[in-house]
Amino acid sequence: MDIVACIKRVPDTSETDDIKIDASGKDIEKSNLAFKLNDWDEYVLETAAQLKEKLGGSFTAISVGPKVWEEVLRRALAMGADKAIRVDEDVVSLDPGCVARILSKVIEGLRYDLILFGAQSEDFGSGQLGAMVAEMLGVPHATLVVSLETEGKVIHVCRELEAGALEAYSIELPALLTIQTGINRPRYISLGGIKRAMKAELKVISLDNLGLSLNGLTQELKLERLEFPHRGKEAVIISGLPRESAEKLAHILYSSGIF
Amino acid sequence: MTLADFKYSDVIHRCFRCGYCKFPINWMDVNNCPAYARFRIETYSCGGRLWLTRAWLSDEIDWTEHLAEILYSCTACKNCEVKCPLRFNADILNMIVAAKSEMVERGKIPAAVKEFLENIQRHGNPYGTSRAKRAEWIEGTGIEQYHGQDLLYYVGCVGSYDTRAQQSARVLGKVMQKAGVSFGVLGNDESCDGNEVSKLGEETLFEMLAEDNIAQFKELGVQRIVTLSPHSYNAMKNDYPTYGGEFDVSHYTQLLLRLVRDSKLDISRGFKAKVTYHDPCFLGRWNAEYEAPRAILHAIPGVELMEMERNRDGSLCCGGGGGNFYIDLLGGSESSPARRRVREADETGANILAVACPTCLTMLEDAVKAEELEDRLAVRDIAEITAEACGIE
Repeated sequence: MDIVACIKRVPDTSETDDIKIDASGKDIEKSNLAFKLNDWDEYVLETAAQLKEKLGGSFTAISVGPKVWEEVLRRALAMGADKAIRVDEDVVSLDPGCVARILSKVIEGLRYDLILFGAQSEDFGSGQLGAMVAEMLGVPHATLVVSLETEGKVIHVCRELEAGALEAYSIELPALLTIQTGINRPRYISLGGIKRAMKAELKVISLDNLGLSLNGLTQELKLERLEFPHRGKEAVIISGLPRESAEKLAHILYSSGIF
Repeated sequence: MTLADFKYSDVIHRCFRCGYCKFPINWMDVNNCPAYARFRIETYSCGGRLWLTRAWLSDEIDWTEHLAEILYSCTACKNCEVKCPLRFNADILNMIVAAKSEMVERGKIPAAVKEFLENIQRHGNPYGTSRAKRAEWIEGTGIEQYHGQDLLYYVGCVGSYDTRAQQSARVLGKVMQKAGVSFGVLGNDESCDGNEVSKLGEETLFEMLAEDNIAQFKELGVQRIVTLSPHSYNAMKNDYPTYGGEFDVSHYTQLLLRLVRDSKLDISRGFKAKVTYHDPCFLGRWNAEYEAPRAILHAIPGVELMEMERNRDGSLCCGGGGGNFYIDLLGGSESSPARRRVREADETGANILAVACPTCLTMLEDAVKAEELEDRLAVRDIAEITAEACGIE
């Protein structure tokens, strides 16, 4: 099976007090932040790696971003990708529609049975990219996939709906899936693995190579400004011996109707 | 990798599970392996782990999450190595670390270990807290950035980020200031020493941390280092020379003892308490330093030192080593090593449990709370006890 996995690099925002909006009001200050692979994309890479191990075929990872984004592609190569492609364009200011056009152009030129995206990104979280690329390529898709099984040219998937309900589909390949967290347990990528992946092929292409130009990509969405959500009520700190504080916490949970 | 390719393939079969690896001083009590003490199942002892490793590498058993947890519950406390009577004992812990390395290479490690190592890759500390916050503990102490002073004070991740351990990091700084020691710290430029990374089997990450730290120390002209944590002390003293990092490294208890003996510290105010001392594994069994911390306590007027039955190379690990202060595979039970250890401390009749390691400090203080011993047993770092004896607030 030939698999294409689209991944992105995002700021590590696990510590929310590190996040500050910059002077433009349209982006966050990044100088003190560490960057990493988008959480959902870890599951994408694990899915692709497992399918390749089981079924053989090719596994190509793609990203659209500047040179520093190559670190996430190196992780993909360390996880078993045969090839990595970076489109050399800073897409942070572009809307998902433009990025989808770039990615679908790249994928058009590749052999593929299955295209994988993360269900959403940790930074902008629009969750649109996968579905848009599927439409542009004219392939069927399923979003928020929590399990999958292949059977010849068909893939059986379960999508996650509200309140724990699942929706099952059988889709003919080629198809596109957006992967939900929890579908598998992403493996650890050792630093030794990443170092070895430095020798693997990483192809860099430009918009020009794809027959596209920044001016030709019409943005449908325009970011006006970023702002923090309003803070709610103050948190309650429960003190006392473990047994007393556990009792107080149980009382709060019980009286608020959670149990 | 198969068993034939395993670095210790020619010796691993020689463990016949005599059981000595679990003993403290004799076979009266088999609870000295912290993981065995917690679970009381043979597979959690060193011998059990070696047999499981051999079975896994021979494809007799599959990798499972549980197998990984059994290997990673090893705190690298070195009790097994000290107690194993066979000639290959110098390698039994190395065999466990090599098995962990193979799991790291295959990417199959417990989720908490993955998080621990990724946080260090990304942030230079296991907590995943930003590098920009590493120096926050220094605020208000007047401790200077290192710029060629006599001594580099290397604090380590636990002392830099853990709220309780930060207190001991600050107090040690104040004691050194009071003694007129010329020292500085790296603040936000400090990165993980890598000791736990190495014991978790992530060799390449350890090499990178060691090489980066050594390059930084050399660029700054560092020659002498004092560490808050025995874990940093161990890595810098025993492992960094392999990567070209030859520094004069001391643990802070060794420095404080010199300062007391040279009368640079006036400890005449004393510390009136019954004190028992817990040997940290990376100071004791790993580096055979049992006396400096005890000599400081003996020198402080008012300290009545009482030993726990298990002490020195028979000491029970707090359960925090090998990253377990974070990955926590040994917690959640009254059989957890830290809880056993504070009960032992309590049995001596001491009201102070003295420690010389920020990891032991946090592990044992949490255990005192869990055991509800707070009204009669307090965990204090030797730096804090010394500070009080010097009249430092």
